[in-house]
Amino acid sequence: MTARVHKLINQPENLVDEMLAGFCAAYSDIARLVDKRLVMRAQPKAPGKVGLVIGCGSGHEPAMTGWIGEGLFDVNIAGEIFAAPGPELMVKGIRAADRGGGVLICVSHHAGDLLNAELALELCQAEGIDNVDMVVLYDDISSAPKGREPERRGTAGLFFVWKMLGAFCEGDGDLAAAKALAEKARDNTRSLAMSLSSCASPVTGEVMFEMAPDEMEIGMGLHGEVGMGRQKALGADETIDLMLPPLLEDLPFQAGDEVLVLLNNSGSLTLMELFVLYRRAAAKLAEADIKVYKSWIGAYATTQEMAGFALSLCRVDEQMKALWDAPANGAYMKQL
Amino acid sequence: MNAIGSEELGALIRAMAQRVAAERDALNRLDAALGDGDHGTSISRAFAAAVEDIEALQEPSLSAIWLTTAKALMNRMGGASGAIFGAFFIKGVASLRDVDRVSNHLMAGALAAGLGSVKARGRAAVGDKTMVDALAPAVAAFEAADDFSAAWAAAATAARKGAESTRDLVARQGRAKFLGERAIGQQDPGATTVALMFEAANDWWKENQA
Repeated sequence: MTARVHKLINQPENLVDEMLAGFCAAYSDIARLVDKRLVMRAQPKAPGKVGLVIGCGSGHEPAMTGWIGEGLFDVNIAGEIFAAPGPELMVKGIRAADRGGGVLICVSHHAGDLLNAELALELCQAEGIDNVDMVVLYDDISSAPKGREPERRGTAGLFFVWKMLGAFCEGDGDLAAAKALAEKARDNTRSLAMSLSSCASPVTGEVMFEMAPDEMEIGMGLHGEVGMGRQKALGADETIDLMLPPLLEDLPFQAGDEVLVLLNNSGSLTLMELFVLYRRAAAKLAEADIKVYKSWIGAYATTQEMAGFALSLCRVDEQMKALWDAPANGAYMKQL
Repeated sequence: MNAIGSEELGALIRAMAQRVAAERDALNRLDAALGDGDHGTSISRAFAAAVEDIEALQEPSLSAIWLTTAKALMNRMGGASGAIFGAFFIKGVASLRDVDRVSNHLMAGALAAGLGSVKARGRAAVGDKTMVDALAPAVAAFEAADDFSAAWAAAATAARKGAESTRDLVARQGRAKFLGERAIGQQDPGATTVALMFEAANDWWKENQA
């Protein structure tokens, strides 16, 4: 029988609304609710700029509400737990983000996110909202082999795309240029995740899948999707030594490259563990003569209380570095 | 009876809503093995919204009922399932437009159009371990029948058999595809929902129309 987990929530059917209301109450200077499922930045960007929206399932906090703000997204269209929002709500979000310079819908590649974005785009065309486009983003090397990158899932490493694209859309570039930049950041980003534990669905309270205490899975998706298979749990250094080589080979990242590094906490790993993991990753990158431009360690895209992490790398050039360093003010992504 | 009006069509949707609600926990358990474990909760929530929205219609024509159901599934369920169940109903709307009563042949056309849209949207075919495995044989059985009684009965049987066939399959679409061989032995929840919908329609028909 599957185990149940007690979560500190009220009625599950009110969970998403209550969470968004709490988020916007806490960060009212950064984000506000324009509909009970639309979170918009408190100060809209200047007229004529490209608007950025993302529709996605809830349950991955602080993604994506934490990424609403100056230098980041304009509107987050929040779906149910782990389920992308429907097309009518997405069109509302697109309208809210429209500052006259067009709107780019970012899709973190999963079947539901893609299907609903496609439907929303069709509705926009039918309703005469022109100058809307979408970009499909992916980074998880475990979800499809090299050569079939467009089949891969979008996971934690899109962090890099969000930040650079957000900065880009504060500038004067148009919709087509914004989409091209998003694709460039995506095509230079790779991620691989692992997990030591399952987590419980807040909707049902049931543990989503079973894992033995001495097991780990490499390639775990953002919703507990299975990856490359189970194996005996290893120590920190051995885990990095297992995950880093396939990540480096995939792009490939080579000697002389400059990279951004993210160690994303899936939920309940400790910072202590993440620092130990990072220490090994940094040493191995140095050995491969790959230079770390900046690194981030924290919980940016979570899967409830799952104990695991994703290691993400993004190869950067001067344009991308400048976009990375540009200011951002989201509740959970700040760049001074 | 060989043609149905909007009152009967609304009642059929209500019967489907009641059936998926009654099977909510069982659908959640099926989904737990292959997905997030909340398919029963989300499909019953969306069907309940469809029933409410149909009751609120000023002019409940056949096409309005079908469109309202499509929109509720698409917008209240979300995710891939919402888009695909919504696609099934929305593509049938054109077949039902401007008619007061629908024959089993016309209804078969609406269902077949819906099936085509589900396959296109979901990029799925029979054998991919998706709702298509129940829907395709159900629609074929419905089309081959001579009247509504025979059509609902044959479709319900075919849909159930199709749903059960998904147990032996490896998924090629949807998030269960990442499970690979691990999906074998598990029945697809979307296909099961399709079976429940046709069974509910058939039971309602037997009680009220046959």
